[in-house]
Amino acid sequence: MSIRRYLILILISIITLVSFIAAIQGYKASMLKAADLFDAQLHAVSDTVIALNPSKKNIKVNNQDNLAFQLWYNNVLVSKTSNAPSVAISAFKQGYSDDNFDGKRWRVFTKQNGQLWIMVAQSIKPRFDLAEKVILSAVTPMIIIIPLLSVIIFLVITHGLKPLNQLTAQLKHKKINDLTVISIENASKEIQPVVDTLNRVFTQLDSAYEREKRFASDAAHELRTPLSVLKINAHNLQFELGDDNQLLNHLFASVERMAHVVDQILKLNRSNPEQFSQQMQKVSLKKLVQQVIGQLYPEMINRHQTIEFNDGDIFIKGNDFFITTMLQNLITNASKYTPEGGHILVSTQQNQGQSILMVEDSGPGINENERGKVFDRFYRIGGDCHNSNVIGCGLGLAIVKHIAQLHRASIQLDKSQKLNGLKISVVFPQLTSKNEELLG
Amino acid sequence: MRILLVEDDLPLAHGLQISLRHQDFVVDHVSRGKDALNALTFPDHDMVILDLGLPDISGLQVLAKIRSKKSDIPIIILTARDTIEDKVQGLDFGADDYLVKPFDISELTARLRVIERRLGTANSAIITVKNVKIDTLAHKALVDDKAINLSKKEYMVLKTLIENAGRIQSRDQIESRLYEWGEEVASNAVEVHISNIRKKLPEQFIQTIRGVGYTVNH
Repeated sequence: MSIRRYLILILISIITLVSFIAAIQGYKASMLKAADLFDAQLHAVSDTVIALNPSKKNIKVNNQDNLAFQLWYNNVLVSKTSNAPSVAISAFKQGYSDDNFDGKRWRVFTKQNGQLWIMVAQSIKPRFDLAEKVILSAVTPMIIIIPLLSVIIFLVITHGLKPLNQLTAQLKHKKINDLTVISIENASKEIQPVVDTLNRVFTQLDSAYEREKRFASDAAHELRTPLSVLKINAHNLQFELGDDNQLLNHLFASVERMAHVVDQILKLNRSNPEQFSQQMQKVSLKKLVQQVIGQLYPEMINRHQTIEFNDGDIFIKGNDFFITTMLQNLITNASKYTPEGGHILVSTQQNQGQSILMVEDSGPGINENERGKVFDRFYRIGGDCHNSNVIGCGLGLAIVKHIAQLHRASIQLDKSQKLNGLKISVVFPQLTSKNEELLG
Repeated sequence: MRILLVEDDLPLAHGLQISLRHQDFVVDHVSRGKDALNALTFPDHDMVILDLGLPDISGLQVLAKIRSKKSDIPIIILTARDTIEDKVQGLDFGADDYLVKPFDISELTARLRVIERRLGTANSAIITVKNVKIDTLAHKALVDDKAINLSKKEYMVLKTLIENAGRIQSRDQIESRLYEWGEEVASNAVEVHISNIRKKLPEQFIQTIRGVGYTVNH
């Protein structure tokens, strides 16, 4: 239940209830007052009748008259109004009482004055008529005013809750990776601290993201520049010492290896799903596969390997840089762990709305019991004595896994039916409007 | 060819100077953006190697200032930032090429050679791959030193492949090179040209990478 509805309902209910209780109390009080007045009237009439001391047996009054009296002397009816019966209308007892005669209910005042008894009666009906009038005039304005009051309450509460609604709307429409501050017009004293705290959290988170991003690029700069220096100077040394210097070749290999590890650690850091704040766009897998094969081809020629792409053009929602990194790692792995002269097959396929990217090779494949572990950071099959003798740091597939997570894709490892080696399939989810929204 | 090297990391600049001199390039080095802009007010240099992380003005600003003076001097960017956004930004600002650190010196010199040939300042206009040569001044192709007869477009396709020997050229890349030379390109033009060139060249000289493109290898 919304706060607004709750407040409106509860307020209207309370107001209605309290008003009616007040009306009833007022009615009761005015009834008592009215009874006093009517009784005083009876008293006055009785005094008048005694003073006049009429002797006429039957005083004619209009039947509709609400007033009647009997005058008794020594228990003999001396005088009465025509609407009063011949028997005593009340007991011979001083004071007020309620009695019935003439088919009506009456309020009777009985008074003794020596041997003289006077009984004055007044029909009870005017009292009820008055009560009805009183209650009606008390309740009518309320019945008119409660709907009006409801409208006013509705407007006031809606207005009062506007900052809260604004806050809710702004938070609701915020994209997952949008960390800009929110602002509420005329925020109340209660909302402002919430907005301030949220904004503080957003700002802190944003600067944390920025720091992380900057860290990666600063680290990249700080590590890559000296690596370039190492590489260039090794090259210059080679120029001076001649081509086949064993020590120099070790140096080259180590520099290469270090450059690779630095590159992979930075990519692992950058593709961490928790730190991801990149935008996703429509990405052509074909274009990226062709680019990456183009980049990596020289390495494959060195190893006398052949590569083939099925040329399937499919589009996914993704990030160019990360999909490129993923393809680089998958195809580099296929090339590295496939012996010289091997074959690599890259294909894309659309299946029931899912986009599938497959990289197959003619290498040794991965045993089923190793398949779960190869995605762990720094895990290498066979540890440091990896039998393929290739440079690696065990981060390649961990990065692939990160990137797959970012794209809500799943990874499967199988044996390749076509090439007998490993087949890695990355299955990208169907693009629905819902996950497009999630991806921002 | 005289190169202006703009790099604030002195050890890197020093190493690069030595490497490039080994390759017979003349290299002048400055380490700040302002000095680079000053140096370029005189038309002494044929091209610029520009690091993006400079201490005074950013490399991208230097690039934009050079281009705003209507100078079309070739510029190769060196950078430690490797995201696609960085790359696109660099090329949008008017860089001719983009190398991410740590790069291979051979890759840098290969790109310098391409620019050199484009500027026509190369000492040798002949590029050799196996027993095939192209003479980029005479616009001729030779197999075993005997000239073969290629149409203008076929020569362009072969030149693109040989200039990028060891790398794959996609159909799109070859097509866009033909466009650059102001040629109308039919949809299967590249395939037709390749098949014609193949008849005149040694077998297996041009290799097809299925689904990706074509390549020639040393």
